[in-house]
Amino acid sequence: MASLSIQEPFDLIRLSLSERVFVKLRGDRQLSGILHAYDGHMNLILSDVEETIMLVDGMDDAEPGQQVVNIAKRKMDMLFVRGDGVILVSPPSRA
Amino acid sequence: MASQILPLELIDRCIGSRIWVIMKGDREFTGKLLGFDDFVNMVLEDVTEYQATPQGQIKTKLQQTLLNGNNICMLIPGSSGPDGDS
Amino acid sequence: MSDASPIAPPPAQTPPETGSPPPVPVPQGSPTDFLKGVVGKRVIVRLTSGVDYRGILSCLDGYMNIALEQTEEHVNGNVTNRYGDAFIRGNNVLYISAAEEI
Repeated sequence: MASLSIQEPFDLIRLSLSERVFVKLRGDRQLSGILHAYDGHMNLILSDVEETIMLVDGMDDAEPGQQVVNIAKRKMDMLFVRGDGVILVSPPSRA
Repeated sequence: MASQILPLELIDRCIGSRIWVIMKGDREFTGKLLGFDDFVNMVLEDVTEYQATPQGQIKTKLQQTLLNGNNICMLIPGSSGPDGDS
Repeated sequence: MSDASPIAPPPAQTPPETGSPPPVPVPQGSPTDFLKGVVGKRVIVRLTSGVDYRGILSCLDGYMNIALEQTEEHVNGNVTNRYGDAFIRGNNVLYISAAEEI
C-alpha cells in the first residue's frame, strides 16, 4: 500500500514517475498521461497525453439534467502543465 | 487612551467561544473557535457552513474543521451567525 | 486559554526533513494539533469550487497539499469519481473537516 511509504503528499507524485497519472485541472479539463517530471509548484511534464475538456452548453439556470455536456478530447505527445492550474493528481491504483 | 490591541489578540480572546466567519465568496461559517495560526487558518467545532446559491441557502453541519485562512474576509466574535440559531 | 501567546506559532510550514517531526510545543486546538489528530482518519476536503473529496487523510504539508486514500469525489451530492490515491494541490482547499470522531 502506498500509504506505508509516504510521509508527505509529494511522495505520492514521486512514486508515480514513469506511470500514467490522472490530472484534474481548473477550467473543467482532465489529463491522462505518463508523468516524467514534476516540481514543488506541481509543474508537470507529461507524455502520451489525452486531454478531456467538459463544455456545458445551455443556460446556467437549466436543470442539471437538461444541460448538455459536450466532451472534447485531443491528444498531445509531450506537454508541460503549469502547476497553478492543477487541482488533483491521482496515480495509477496499486491494487 | 485607546489600549493597544492587535487584531489577532482579539481573535485569541475568542478561543472557546462561537465565532462567525465570512469568506470572500458566498460562503459563511459559524462554530466554536478552538484555535488558529498566523495565517488565520482556523480550527472550528460544531460548525455550520452557509452557502448562498441562486436556489437559496445551503446549510451544512460539520464536525471539527480546519478552515483555510486564504479565503477568509471577516470574523465576528461571539456571534452565532446569519440566523442567530445553532 | 492563557494569554501568554496571543498568536499561535506558525504550523510546520516546511515539510519535515526526517521521518520524525521535531517536538514543537503548540497550544491545544491549533491547526497543527487538529491535523495531527485527523491523519489516518476519514475526512471531507472541500475545495473553493464546492467539490468535495471524501477519503482517508494520508498526510499533508504546510501548503495544505493533501494526500488522500480511498477517495470519492462528490459534486452536488453525487459521487463523480473514485481514486485509490489522490494528491490535492493545497491552494484549492477551502477546508478539511473530520468525518469521524477524532
